[in-house]
Amino acid sequence: MRPSELAELLASRVVLLDGGLGSMLIAAGLPAGRAPEWWNLEHPELVAAVHRAYADAGSEIVHANSFGGSPIRLAAAGLAGRCTEVNAAAVAIARDACAGRALVAGDVGPIGVMLPPVGSATVTELGAAFREQAAALADAGADLVSIETMSDLREALTALEAALETGLAVIASMTFAARRRGFFTVMGDPLVPSLAALAAAGAVAVGCNCTVGPGEMAAMAREAAPALAVPLVAQPNAGLPRLTPDGVAYEAEPEGFARSMAAVVAAGARAVGGCCGTTPEFIARMRAMLEARRG
Amino acid sequence: MTDPAELLPALHRSVLQGDEAAARRLAAEALAGGIEPLAAIEHGLVPGVREAGRLWEEGEFFLPELVLAAQAMRAAMDVLQPALGGARAASLGRVVIGTVEGDIHDIGKTLVATMLAASGFAVSDEGAGVPAARFVARARELDADLVCASALLTTTMPRQRELVAALREAGLRARVMVGGAPVTRSWAEAIGADGFADNALAAVAVARGLVGHGATV
Repeated sequence: MRPSELAELLASRVVLLDGGLGSMLIAAGLPAGRAPEWWNLEHPELVAAVHRAYADAGSEIVHANSFGGSPIRLAAAGLAGRCTEVNAAAVAIARDACAGRALVAGDVGPIGVMLPPVGSATVTELGAAFREQAAALADAGADLVSIETMSDLREALTALEAALETGLAVIASMTFAARRRGFFTVMGDPLVPSLAALAAAGAVAVGCNCTVGPGEMAAMAREAAPALAVPLVAQPNAGLPRLTPDGVAYEAEPEGFARSMAAVVAAGARAVGGCCGTTPEFIARMRAMLEARRG
Repeated sequence: MTDPAELLPALHRSVLQGDEAAARRLAAEALAGGIEPLAAIEHGLVPGVREAGRLWEEGEFFLPELVLAAQAMRAAMDVLQPALGGARAASLGRVVIGTVEGDIHDIGKTLVATMLAASGFAVSDEGAGVPAARFVARARELDADLVCASALLTTTMPRQRELVAALREAGLRARVMVGGAPVTRSWAEAIGADGFADNALAAVAVARGLVGHGATV
């Protein structure tokens, strides 16, 4: 999908994305500590089942299971040298599972090694890793690339530059939280200037995902959407994760989440979905919410 | 040379501003000027890094600023530590610290390690992605007083539970402290850890308590 095509789609209506993938795979039995990308090779049918459930619930774009698919991160997960294979499998699983009912976004997450001063990675090193992953996703037939959960604008821009080389449409999202002086990433990148920089660098749409629940996301959308020249994408968590001895519990439930997401849409978001802890049920409730809005 | 009366406030500022070169230089000047190394640490470095921690918690500082402050503190400690000498150099306790297996996040862990070392513990930082077996082996080898395990992901938190069990099974005397963004006090209690801290400053207080040098938090 070319950038102009995604731009037209987002201009035509509010697009429904998918929800959490990693948290769904954990619920399906992904062992603690096992990178989700392993399951593209070990249990493609279980990954496919999650994508299919999202397409059934109304997702128009699903994210392939490639969030940790950069070669550096794969190496840390015990999948060294298998970037092309893992990302190709991720896209193939999603394409087969959705069978044309939803577009497939190649998902690109942070590499996990930090730029100075927090870490000692270099932009050159990150760029090479992102290029390898993006090329693998594009070659496997991803419709677009979705960069997510970035907390360092420099890394987000590096990923974006690499993804744009594929010629595909790219969505670039970062993860912000409310701080004393506004919304910032943990690295100190501010909401609107960061998203504006990603838009200027060529992202078709820019967004916020993870970290916060839908309530705080609505506040971010009210600040960001009017200030941006490109569409805003919003994928909050199902509230904040709390770890109990029995597992992870999230504060929000599907109906309340969908209600809060109506405020995110009202604030101007053009694509909405969920991040950690959201399920196909959340997406189904959001579809109902979007249909009610459209009348 | 900095005015001796100004040295401690200047050390404080150098840490707060994350100025590693200044922190190193001022530490050397403090020693040359006859300031007790312990005084330089307690009245210069520690207040500086504490203020950085407070500003981080208040949302005024971001991660890079906090990391730079910790790095400046470590640079000054490298100068001051050899001068502590004698009984003062004896550590508060031996600590083995790492991020659990499957988790490559080590920012928080490194901050805690830095603060513990700065506070007088002998710290062996095992890095990130540390299997339980290595924690156990290192704790045995060093006769550790304390094992600290960080997990930044909800998916890797269960490794902390396994680590506690492995240490107990090995019959080691080390107490266990856990931390990391998703970790809560109730989780720490549920898995049988001895201590929990939600930031690097609290970790020092809890660690002191666990090794018998102060109140347990």
